[in-house]
Amino acid sequence: MWPERESRLNCPRLKNWFAERYDIAPLKKLAREKLVPVHGHDLWYYTGGVVLFLFALQFITGMLLSFYYIPHAEHAHKSIIEIVTKLNMGWFFRSLHHWGSQLAIFFLFVHLFATLLFKSYRKPRELLWYSGFILLVTAIFFGLSGYLLLWDERAFAAVRVATGGAGALPIVGDFIKAFLRGGFDVTGETLTRFYAFHVAILPLFTIFLMGLHIIIVQIHGMSTPLSLKDKNVPQVPFFPNILYRDIIVWLVVLGLTVTIATLLPPEIGQKADPLAAPPENIKPEWYFLFLFQTLKIFPGEILGLNGETIAIMLISAGILIFFLIPLLDRKSGRGERSPLFTVVGYAYLAYFLIMTTIGYFT
Amino acid sequence: MTLTVCITTVIAFIVSPLWAQEAKKAIEVFPSTPYYQFIIFENLAIFWIAIIGLIVILRMKLREIEQRQKLGLDREENDAAPPN
Repeated sequence: MWPERESRLNCPRLKNWFAERYDIAPLKKLAREKLVPVHGHDLWYYTGGVVLFLFALQFITGMLLSFYYIPHAEHAHKSIIEIVTKLNMGWFFRSLHHWGSQLAIFFLFVHLFATLLFKSYRKPRELLWYSGFILLVTAIFFGLSGYLLLWDERAFAAVRVATGGAGALPIVGDFIKAFLRGGFDVTGETLTRFYAFHVAILPLFTIFLMGLHIIIVQIHGMSTPLSLKDKNVPQVPFFPNILYRDIIVWLVVLGLTVTIATLLPPEIGQKADPLAAPPENIKPEWYFLFLFQTLKIFPGEILGLNGETIAIMLISAGILIFFLIPLLDRKSGRGERSPLFTVVGYAYLAYFLIMTTIGYFT
Repeated sequence: MTLTVCITTVIAFIVSPLWAQEAKKAIEVFPSTPYYQFIIFENLAIFWIAIIGLIVILRMKLREIEQRQKLGLDREENDAAPPN
């Protein structure tokens, strides 16, 4: 009785049909042989999986919203109001998309700083660091482009400030500003351009980068902290042990996202008016606050030079050094302890947290 | 008559910004009807019960797998006799 029932449930004919055409034995072998080290810091491994899950959630909710959104300066704001007020559960999916993006960027930052502080970027994993960093920048641009689609006065002013900031870069600044805006100022052209970035260019780029990132992780395996280098760290199979734990973490994150989306649906401001004065106390999204606050502490002019240009150049230099850390930290690459880069990592983290907090409360 | 016109003009000046404020009222981003709000919060509670239930089932399954691995029941025997 039992074997018969089991075989019916396992669909043997379908399995045989598939097995005759495709040999998935190497994939099965890879799944069986993939091992994950278990130690006191293995909690940080799950942050990457959480980002992957939240991106998948963003793709689903984004697709649903795109059925009703109209990417035109005259209709964009009205179409969002209609999604929120007239469509069944429209308010919920828009809120889920908003909070999903916030949490995805939050977990990307956590994942990035965990990688930095555990020196998981060290040789031979440099490409993992570079692809992950570019993925974070892409996610931030995802956030900025999605923010403008709302086409309300705050989004309009924030994008005007952000693209204007890019324009302060020497030599290439004006080109970047004009390229992002699609003209001299933020207009309907910018909305069309940001919509194209948000729904076509960035998703394709993200899928490619994520695929690359995941393939490199499979090649190198999971990284262990340098402090455990000479210790015999126990390992467990990824499938099914870690996959089950991943699913548990994803369920908790899904629950949290849904709860926040239900309790704190994001507001919609008044329709953007290019001729109106920007609203008071305008602030960018939280992940831009450290840049915004850094720009604020610089005076308008330093030694006869434009203060904003100097600030943007210093920020760019700081970000470039951060990006190149795997090249600069040679000790970690040799498997030696590098306390200098631990200090550098904490300094970057402290700067980010302090500036974001000051920017939020002032 | 002049007094009436003056008073009407003054009232119009005072009242018109109030209409403008009315027009700028915040857009409702959450259902305001208590009935719908009750349904939403009820569904949120059911959703959490389902999530906790799934987590409990997954934890039980994971524990069972770990027990099997500890006993070595998951390993393939290389020298097992071929089936008849």
